Amino acid sequence: MPPTIAEPDGRSPHGGTLGRQIAASLESITLHKVREVGFRNAEANAAAIRRGKNILALQQVLSNGDDALVIAAGPSLHRQNPAQLIQEHRSRATLVVAESSMSWCFRNGIRPDLVVTLDPHPTRITRWFGDPDMDLEKLKADDYFARQDLDPHFQAKELARNRELVEMVNHHARGIPIAIASCASEAVVRRAEQAGMDLYWWNPMYDDYELQDSLTCKIHAMNGLPCINAGGNVGAACWVVAEAILRKRRVGLVGVDFGYYADTPYSKTQYYPEIVAMVGEDRLDEVFVWIDNPHAGKKYYTDPAYLWYRDSFLEMAAQAECETWNCTDGGILFGPNIRWASLQEFLKSGTQSKYVA
Amino acid sequence: MDKILKGNFQPAKPPVVEKPTEDLTSRFEAEALKRVGGSIAFVSKKKFIFDPSTAKKGGEDAADNR
Repeated sequence: MPPTIAEPDGRSPHGGTLGRQIAASLESITLHKVREVGFRNAEANAAAIRRGKNILALQQVLSNGDDALVIAAGPSLHRQNPAQLIQEHRSRATLVVAESSMSWCFRNGIRPDLVVTLDPHPTRITRWFGDPDMDLEKLKADDYFARQDLDPHFQAKELARNRELVEMVNHHARGIPIAIASCASEAVVRRAEQAGMDLYWWNPMYDDYELQDSLTCKIHAMNGLPCINAGGNVGAACWVVAEAILRKRRVGLVGVDFGYYADTPYSKTQYYPEIVAMVGEDRLDEVFVWIDNPHAGKKYYTDPAYLWYRDSFLEMAAQAECETWNCTDGGILFGPNIRWASLQEFLKSGTQSKYVA
Repeated sequence: MDKILKGNFQPAKPPVVEKPTEDLTSRFEAEALKRVGGSIAFVSKKKFIFDPSTAKKGGEDAADNR
């Protein structure tokens, strides 16, 4: 069912026109943003890549069972809190976890079968692992975690909670496989190795590998790793890894919202400072897009980046061989090739335990 | 250029050259280029995996040539 673009109640009649225009440009904008840092980090990670393994080796490690459950860090993860259900049925699906929800898993006694990381940001991504070098000065330099809605646990007592997370990851993450993109920052690589995680490397696709002078081909020639279409974000990358590397037949999703709850202030959204800097506070309704989700019976809103993620995901879902079950119970990811279901329905309808060969 | 093209009279008022005005979308894109965007690229291709190394070794062309 195609999404219905709705006008927000009592808001401007412009209804995100500009947001949709920007979303349509994000493929090229993102490529410009990541191509240099991606190449630079891949070069810098050469030695670590040689120490680690190829992502294709995960096919042997995590081949049991037909089902995977992707746990991403959308706001529904905290609003719906499916932790108990996942714990009770954890043998039913291979748990493929975005690095941004690893902390939520550990806090709820859930051990991921696989963690995925890909964003090349030099400082932010380490925070999801607990940053051993965090101090007040670093906190002041970037308010992202105090502001974001992905994990409310990170919004307060930031230094103390970062220290707790360092300990938690040091204690629980040892031996957990991590599918780490060659563009990951040096800080993330160091942290994953330091925590004793088992590193499986891959290249994200940057551009069409059939083009002359393709960056994807250049990086592949440099390190020999398979190049994976990551869909723009780590949640989509988890799904691609489950589908194309682990070859799961059914992939469930939780925390894949690609949108915000209606009661979330615009100021708590991912790109708020950037959007305000571009258009000013009085034109925000032109950038944020409101969408009726008929399955959830609610309206959600989204920003250009999340709207692009959703469109990209739907395009990839049309090519996939697995069944995709969205058990997020919220957000804007619905449409052709996505089955909307409760997490309970997904987990209970599986037939094979991941512990049985 | 002004060595090649020279006027043959002096205009009463200096000519005003209109600069093309940037539309809002272009301005957005320029700004967004620096600060907004996804974590990584999305490539609109049918295959999820590109891995010629595996193909050269005589195996499947990676995991995704199904």
